[in-house]
Amino acid sequence: MENKIKQSGNRQNELVHILHEVQERFGYIPPERLAEIAKKLNISESEIYGVLTFYKAFSLEPGGEHTVTVCMGTACHVRGGQQITDEMERKLDIKVGQTSADGKFTLETVNCLGCCAIGPVVTVDGKYYSHATMKNIASILKEY
Amino acid sequence: MKITLDGKQIEVEEGQTVLDAARENDIYIPSLCDNPHLSPFSGCRLCLVEIKGQRGYAPSCSTIAREGMEVKSDSPKLRKIRIRILELILSEHPSACLICQEKENCDEYKSTIRKVGETTGCVLCPNNGRCDLQKVADALGVDSIRFPAIYRDIEVNKKDPFFDRNYNLCILCGRCVRVCHEIRGTSTITFVNRGSDAVIGTALDKTLQDAGCQFCGACVDVCPTGALTERSLKYEKIADETKETICPLCSMGCRLDVGKYEGRILSSQPSEDGKVNQGQACVKGRFLLKNTVYSGQRIKRPMIRRKKDLEPVSWDEALDFVAEKLKGFPGDKVGFIQSSQVSCEDMFVFEQFVRDVLKSDQIAAESENSVYGILKELADESGVILPMNHKIKEISQADTIFLSGADIVSSHPIVWLAVLKAVKTGAGLIIAAPFEFSLSRYATLDLRIKPGSEAMLLGYLAKQVLGREDLSEKETVKGLEDLKKSVEDLRIEDVLKLTGIPNEETLTHAEKLFRPDRSVVLLLGAGFAGKEKIKNTLAAGWNLARLTRGRLFLLGSGVNERGQFEIRKIYDKKIDLSEFIRKAAEGKIEALYMTGPITLAVKFDPAFLVVQDSYWSDMAKKAHAVFPASTFAEDECSFVNTEGRVQRSGSIIPHYEESKPDWWIISRLAQKMGARSFSFKKSSDIFNRIEKEIPAFTGITNVSFTKEEDLFIKEEQGDKIGFLPAVYDRTVSSGEKRYPFLLVQDGGYDSYRNLDLTKENKGFAKIRETGIILLNPEDAVVLELKNGESVKINSESGESHAVVKISEAVPAGIVKTHFLRRLSPDSIFVSMLAVLPVNIKRGE
Ligand code: SF4
Ligand code: SF4
Ligand code: SF4
Ligand code: SF4
Ligand code: FES
Ligand code: FES
Repeated sequence: MENKIKQSGNRQNELVHILHEVQERFGYIPPERLAEIAKKLNISESEIYGVLTFYKAFSLEPGGEHTVTVCMGTACHVRGGQQITDEMERKLDIKVGQTSADGKFTLETVNCLGCCAIGPVVTVDGKYYSHATMKNIASILKEY
Repeated sequence: MKITLDGKQIEVEEGQTVLDAARENDIYIPSLCDNPHLSPFSGCRLCLVEIKGQRGYAPSCSTIAREGMEVKSDSPKLRKIRIRILELILSEHPSACLICQEKENCDEYKSTIRKVGETTGCVLCPNNGRCDLQKVADALGVDSIRFPAIYRDIEVNKKDPFFDRNYNLCILCGRCVRVCHEIRGTSTITFVNRGSDAVIGTALDKTLQDAGCQFCGACVDVCPTGALTERSLKYEKIADETKETICPLCSMGCRLDVGKYEGRILSSQPSEDGKVNQGQACVKGRFLLKNTVYSGQRIKRPMIRRKKDLEPVSWDEALDFVAEKLKGFPGDKVGFIQSSQVSCEDMFVFEQFVRDVLKSDQIAAESENSVYGILKELADESGVILPMNHKIKEISQADTIFLSGADIVSSHPIVWLAVLKAVKTGAGLIIAAPFEFSLSRYATLDLRIKPGSEAMLLGYLAKQVLGREDLSEKETVKGLEDLKKSVEDLRIEDVLKLTGIPNEETLTHAEKLFRPDRSVVLLLGAGFAGKEKIKNTLAAGWNLARLTRGRLFLLGSGVNERGQFEIRKIYDKKIDLSEFIRKAAEGKIEALYMTGPITLAVKFDPAFLVVQDSYWSDMAKKAHAVFPASTFAEDECSFVNTEGRVQRSGSIIPHYEESKPDWWIISRLAQKMGARSFSFKKSSDIFNRIEKEIPAFTGITNVSFTKEEDLFIKEEQGDKIGFLPAVYDRTVSSGEKRYPFLLVQDGGYDSYRNLDLTKENKGFAKIRETGIILLNPEDAVVLELKNGESVKINSESGESHAVVKISEAVPAGIVKTHFLRRLSPDSIFVSMLAVLPVNIKRGE
């Protein structure tokens, strides 16, 4: 029994480890690699998929050149974070988690970036933009 | 061990959860995510209880009972918490009906159906009336919800056969995910995403089939809501009656609960307390039983061919006609073929009729070519007695399992479940087969050996065991010296070369799994090798099992193949199958009477042909007399499964049209031909005779329809348990010049009598990939074939067609198919024995 738990525990760790390696190498986890990983670890593709989608850090799509992050923490939310996100989705013609067709931007959301006072907050590749509004989104994106 | 539950002292077993203990004592604790067969999940939190001396509340589904524990399952506080939790669950679940004040009226008259939107009510939910969520809501008396309702608006997934997935109704209890992973081993479905985005799904949203689903239906059966529902039940009423039967679709003999409404069969589900299957089944029993009974191919009435056409007549007329005709043929010109899928009663009466009334022994049966028949032949030759009874359940206690000759996930599903259980508790699994099995990933050693080299591998392992163990106490065992001699010169180089096992380490690893401290089970089926090879494999398997004090478990095929084998044991004179086929081909059989499936590759036009079957076939269409036989569902039947377990099932529906049980037809015919006995009134009269006349059934009286008994075939006892002379031959099967590929079949038993289930149900054909051959990428290059191209397959004896699927699951030189008809003369008996040299060419 103990053996069994250890084994499956190990496999779980190994899986996360492998996923990290793949992501590091390709910048994302190419969906067609799932079968290969499944073979290697002797588990089903769905098991991998479950773990993969559990962690936000893993992505099945190649990231864009730039990562746009909209804060959806409570403070930013009440100041219109949702609208900002919606507008971003419309502008880039993608949903959160996806990458724009030209491969330029990947859109993400986070829960509080720790600077609530200047919200709503948007970051691009780690650069902060305070008091984001529907209007200045375009100019933010234009910088890239 | 005792605990106190709601002030009552109750007895609990070591390791039992509080929830299970409560269930056993009929104390209701609401629960949704728990299922007694699955590991605790503690997701829904409805089952919270108070435990004295412990702060807060504990989920009873994952709390193991401790001696003296004092548990309270109900209190105003608990009720409040539970209601709150249920409200949360319901806020994401279409729940208008659950809390609607018109509910009762509505259920009855559907009067207020328009008051709630379609998507939000139980009224239109296929699960209505059989829903755990409804039950819990009723029990807790929830009548309003304080949280805003969220409708997830996920498209209903109807892409796969048999059942729909409507995750708008899903409460994320995880039961489906757990049953698929823990019990079935497939892990087709999983939790996707996390938190409020979580849904149940497959990798990359593939179809279930592409994600490896067995379509066992286990997830549907455990789902507490209408999220997973059988498609054919969607617009059906709730069953008003449930009957039990034994599934006739393979050698496992699962017990099924058959739901009926106004006399018609609606559904079939595995019986929770079935001795063999314990709440599990497979795609066939779960989803195809109804098709089997109500097939459009059913023969409705007796017909005879007086002139040109078959014409319907009364039973009397038909029987007179056949009796008269049969009298006109000399005994040695009449042949009989007996199905292995009819009941013991049917078989017994048929044998009696042919042998006693017609004084003939030209009665052939599929079981002669079965694993039992082949092994028995060997045992008789060397005067050895070998036990064939085993319980599937016991496989799960093995430390080492060696599997060959059957891809058990589809051919012996319940055996697979036991194997999986063993593997999950640390057993080593060796699979020795020429291609990849559907769940080979569970194997400790997945040995892709060359077809026909099984015996050599087993012999080599036996040699290692012999060399290691102190065998003094066994020195006297019959045949040991011969065994030693026969394996002596199996050198490791030869074994590696001939089996194709890549290196010595792999072999050494295999050897280790047969160390004396391990309990060994060998599972051997009749597939992928051809009769001569299988003979050697079985003998070698038996010897290795003997040496390791392990067990050999034979994987037989038809629902009553074992029963047929046991019944026919008492007759000394049995016609050999190949001889039968030869005689037929040479025209030495002028009249043929058959109750079983037959696909003749040899040209065979008997002057007089009687087909007694439940379904129309090519043979039936050209017969001179057609007798409609009832199916398993319409009469009491006794079957013996591959364990040697004798089971009986009752009649669940009246006889279809004018059909009659096989035993009835034969008895009447016997009487028409002048026999005095054969005055059987019901099937149990015959069973009593079997019990008296056939030693294997001695003492098996009153086999009842209830599931409480463990009744097994009586086996010969004695001290003649020894080794068998095995030939560890040094050849492997392969193609030849004109037919360079070796065709192997991984199934072939997806039929019931003359009904091909893959033809009966499109979804089933799809999941069995009928008409598809798997081809190694290398071969595809050589043959210049692409995925999806049509090919012609030729063998010495026939031609067939298929579509190519390129796959690494098969090695170069081997093509695999589920089942192709018309290729081998052997297919007069649809059996799994065939490996066939073929050639493959592009073309329709
Ligand atoms: S799953 Fe149950 S509670 Fe939900 S709509 Fe269907 S019957 Fe009603
Ligand atoms: S039908 Fe069986 S194999 Fe398929 S998903 Fe459900 S439990 Fe898993
Ligand atoms: S589909 Fe059914 S069994 Fe699976 S998690 Fe949802 S409600 Fe539970
Ligand atoms: S395993 Fe065999 S007996 Fe059980 S349901 Fe499937 S076909 Fe029927
Ligand atoms: S909520 Fe946006 S930074 Fe804190
Ligand atoms: S049944 Fe115990 S938490 Fe769901």
